[in-house]
Amino acid sequence: MKRLRLPLSEDEARSLRLGDRVTVTGPLFTGRSRFHIRAIEEGLWPPLDYAAVNAFFHVGPVMRPQGDGWEVVSCEPTSSLRFERYGAAVVRKFGLRTLIGKTTMGPGTAQALREVGGVFLSKIGLSGNALRRQVRRVREVHFLDELGKTEATWVFEVEDFGPFFVAMDAAGGNYFHDLDREVVAALPGIERDLGIPADYAFTEVNRRGDA
Amino acid sequence: MIQRKTVVEAMFGALQRAATQMPPDVRAALERAAAEETDPMARQHLAVSLDNADQAARGEGLVCADTGFPLFFIRAGSRTALEGGFGALASAAEEATARATAECLLRPTMVDPITRANPGNNVGPGMPKVDLRFAGDGADLEIIAAPKGGGSEIFGTFYRMLYPADGLTGVRKFVIESIRESCYAGKVCPPAIIGIGLGGTADVCMAMAKRAAVLRPIGQRHPRPDIAALEEELYQASRRLGIGPMGSRGINAVLAVAIEVAVTHTAALPVAFNAQCLVGRRWRACIAADQSVVYSGEVA
Repeated sequence: MKRLRLPLSEDEARSLRLGDRVTVTGPLFTGRSRFHIRAIEEGLWPPLDYAAVNAFFHVGPVMRPQGDGWEVVSCEPTSSLRFERYGAAVVRKFGLRTLIGKTTMGPGTAQALREVGGVFLSKIGLSGNALRRQVRRVREVHFLDELGKTEATWVFEVEDFGPFFVAMDAAGGNYFHDLDREVVAALPGIERDLGIPADYAFTEVNRRGDA
Repeated sequence: MIQRKTVVEAMFGALQRAATQMPPDVRAALERAAAEETDPMARQHLAVSLDNADQAARGEGLVCADTGFPLFFIRAGSRTALEGGFGALASAAEEATARATAECLLRPTMVDPITRANPGNNVGPGMPKVDLRFAGDGADLEIIAAPKGGGSEIFGTFYRMLYPADGLTGVRKFVIESIRESCYAGKVCPPAIIGIGLGGTADVCMAMAKRAAVLRPIGQRHPRPDIAALEEELYQASRRLGIGPMGSRGINAVLAVAIEVAVTHTAALPVAFNAQCLVGRRWRACIAADQSVVYSGEVA
């Protein structure tokens, strides 16, 4: 397990390999669909120092008011694939070297991560309750009234936060793409044993004769 | 007569338990899967998830933060009498859902599909969903609360109208492709419970898939031998994909395949696919006519 410090340096990001298991320590900010859409389509983003708060955690945490501040009840990384339309633009705009989420992202974001020297970290199991304890401080929240607790941007200070694994490296590699190639290789044999002919096609009623 | 306040309390109690306790059949299936996997990442995905569920059961958070769509599956007997009538179930479900959200057992997740406005209590047109069925001649009311996570619903829902000429070969292809797509990169949070609907209209078909995924106890097979055999065949096929927990390299993309059937049009073979995520969130509250409530993670 590698212990990474945030913000991640370009050298460190480029030294990480697919499948490396890591934790992170330092500041990060949260967001999901609304952050992406607003930042790119509407020119609205929280006034953070993105060189310092450089890690983008894809999550909608469960938050509870406590005293003057907030307590994290649970925070489970959400599926990052949904943000692919805006992923590359957000990485380039804020110079992000660390994305933390679930699943993976697509070729556009992979290219942007190559350019800035960044990685995508994917979650290991469901760990929202451990992650909650690893949030040392809820530093600030932006757009709470407009977006609600789930989509608001929270800034957390985290310590030994994780574990995560490197699902996209700074060289354009993707752990899940590699694995899917093995699945593609296994499929014909599985389908054959299920009695599905290699040239099987569903009955198609929505295309004209020329399609 | 079952009082409204008892119904609200039972709905809330079922939501609370569903949000914080993993059903025993799901837990046992995940432990079997963990014993079987050999890839270190696959094993860690499951170990971490089981540990997370243990923490939730001790009052240290939730089984998963994405408490998703608030669903209630309700069964009444022919002698069940409710204060305010059965129409009162909708407002009771709203009250229980709003309270569970206020107490941070449910994340405020339901929003307007167009404006994306969030009322903050998971209550709005169509949600919470109350599915009411009648069965038996009892006087009890069975409530199953199933807050269904976004990952499984968003990435694990497929429907296709097949035709008689496509036959079971088409069904097999549709299911195996859907498993592969939905489990890729851990989209539906595998190991998933796969519900399949065959027949009916499109809505009946999808409702069967949803009920099979959410309500069927793991390990229970369909009573019709031909359907049970298809369930087993597709489950075994899924284990050869090479997809494991959370999309890792492994065996257990799927914990179970459950198929439900309805008669359909002689021209049609509708098939629906709905996945439930590895936490399999559901809990049952059974209210007797004397207002006593019994909670159980066993739903059979």
